[in-house]
Amino acid sequence: MIARGTPILQIDSLSKSFRGLVALNAISFEVYDGEILGLIGPNGAGKSVLVNVISGFYGANSGTIRYRGRDVTGFPSHELSRLGIARTYQNIRLFRRMTVLENVLVASKRHAAKPFSSAFTVTRQADIAAAMAQLERMRLADKADRPAGSLAYGEARRLEIARALAGEPSILFLDEPAAGMNERETEELSADIRLCRAAVDVIVIIEHDMELLRDLSDRLLVIASGSKIAEGPPKAVLADPAVIEAYLGADDDDD
Amino acid sequence: MVQGDAGVIQDYVMFTGVNILLAWSVYIILLSGSLSFGNGAFMAIGAYLSGVLTVKFAVPLLIAVLVAGILTGFFGVLVGFPALRTRGVYLILVTVGIAASVRTAIEAIDYVGGVRGFGGLAGANPWQIAVLVAIVGGVLWMVSRSPLQRILDAVREDEQVARALGINVVQVKLVSFGTGAALAAIAGGFYGHYMMFLRPDEFDIMLSVYIVFYVILGGTNNLWGPALGAAFLTLAPEFIRGLDTWRPTVYGLLIVLLLLIRPEGLLTFRLVTARAAHLRRATRDSDMPARNRSPEAKR
Repeated sequence: MIARGTPILQIDSLSKSFRGLVALNAISFEVYDGEILGLIGPNGAGKSVLVNVISGFYGANSGTIRYRGRDVTGFPSHELSRLGIARTYQNIRLFRRMTVLENVLVASKRHAAKPFSSAFTVTRQADIAAAMAQLERMRLADKADRPAGSLAYGEARRLEIARALAGEPSILFLDEPAAGMNERETEELSADIRLCRAAVDVIVIIEHDMELLRDLSDRLLVIASGSKIAEGPPKAVLADPAVIEAYLGADDDDD
Repeated sequence: MVQGDAGVIQDYVMFTGVNILLAWSVYIILLSGSLSFGNGAFMAIGAYLSGVLTVKFAVPLLIAVLVAGILTGFFGVLVGFPALRTRGVYLILVTVGIAASVRTAIEAIDYVGGVRGFGGLAGANPWQIAVLVAIVGGVLWMVSRSPLQRILDAVREDEQVARALGINVVQVKLVSFGTGAALAAIAGGFYGHYMMFLRPDEFDIMLSVYIVFYVILGGTNNLWGPALGAAFLTLAPEFIRGLDTWRPTVYGLLIVLLLLIRPEGLLTFRLVTARAAHLRRATRDSDMPARNRSPEAKR
């Protein structure tokens, strides 16, 4: 075991069901300062539900979520965001009518928290410069004034990451960032995520692409049918018979 | 009201101005993504409240209208709080309900004359409205270039994502609903004191529908669209006055025709709240086409 930092996120027996259908079944895990955690599992395992509960989109039925030692269970998502939890979406959700630059600017913390104090001002050059720095890191600076809806698929994914980072979060959840990407794009994405690592304390990646996760993550967490079935270093976890069975035995989707 | 040609022109200025303010009151609520069919009711409340203040308590007109606007704004927040929990077509139905019940409520209140109406209001003139249109237009123009506009755009486009970026969506929607209600009430106050007499049936549900028409026809993306739509639909009937009994028919056809030709409204461009200034310089130095002026950037 590698030496661990302090826990940033502590999930304790978190459960969520939809009309009797159990999506999360008493899941517990911790995420430590400085690590990249890979979250895998067959389709329908509850990975996205888990992210949706942690980011406040859904309320949990039971269990607790602690962020930096503080109980944040049931907090509305705008408060969780202000505390430092940011995310991207499996199906890209950009503000398509805004420009690329505006998509990043809208996440700027000062304005998002106090929208009405900015009513009679124009955007400060310092804010534009900070947003441009986010875009440059994600190789989008030359597209700043284009409408976000006109971006190519890979660019749109990167813009989502840039927007998530604009609020200076502590935790970044990436929900299937490599979905729909070819091998070359996935490699580029891997390099981009490494660049993000310096900007946040923790990255949690949900992915089906094992190569990407083997490459990036310090630890893997495997869930199947809403329950945790394995946790540990990528190599050991991917060799775990229970994990192999969950993937080969349960998942016959054509994903 | 003044008689003769001057009076007709005063009427045009007054009604166009009031309708522009009403269109903007719907636009302000639409900024945060809700379509309100209740603004005719907020206008009625503003007209009656300010009327009671001037007629029964001898409060000066401008103060009465302002007080009525503020009170109606709070009323808007009060009814908006439960109403804004619903979305889309359900929210529209709730605002329709507001419009219907306010009219019925006024009809039942004897203090303001009930169905017989309420008279004795006076003192409004078109120039007050012209100044108000300029002020509100100026405020909306400033907001359209501000970081607040971006926040509103985010809430309008995807509430859930806006929340996840730290925006308190409920607060933003309530303030926009309350502000829209207040503006409709202020417009109603001036309208009432120009007409000198109020009847509840003037504030029929069709009034609210017309106000929404102004906005949809003019365009929902920028502040000029609703103003143009309101001005056009207020003045168009006057230009086809010679058609006599066919006037309502031609007016209706005109609306249908416009919606067929420009289903997104007359003015559809979206104002951009910030640009990458140094990029523009960089592109000007090279041979690359200026991205900032590309048509797609102005959708």
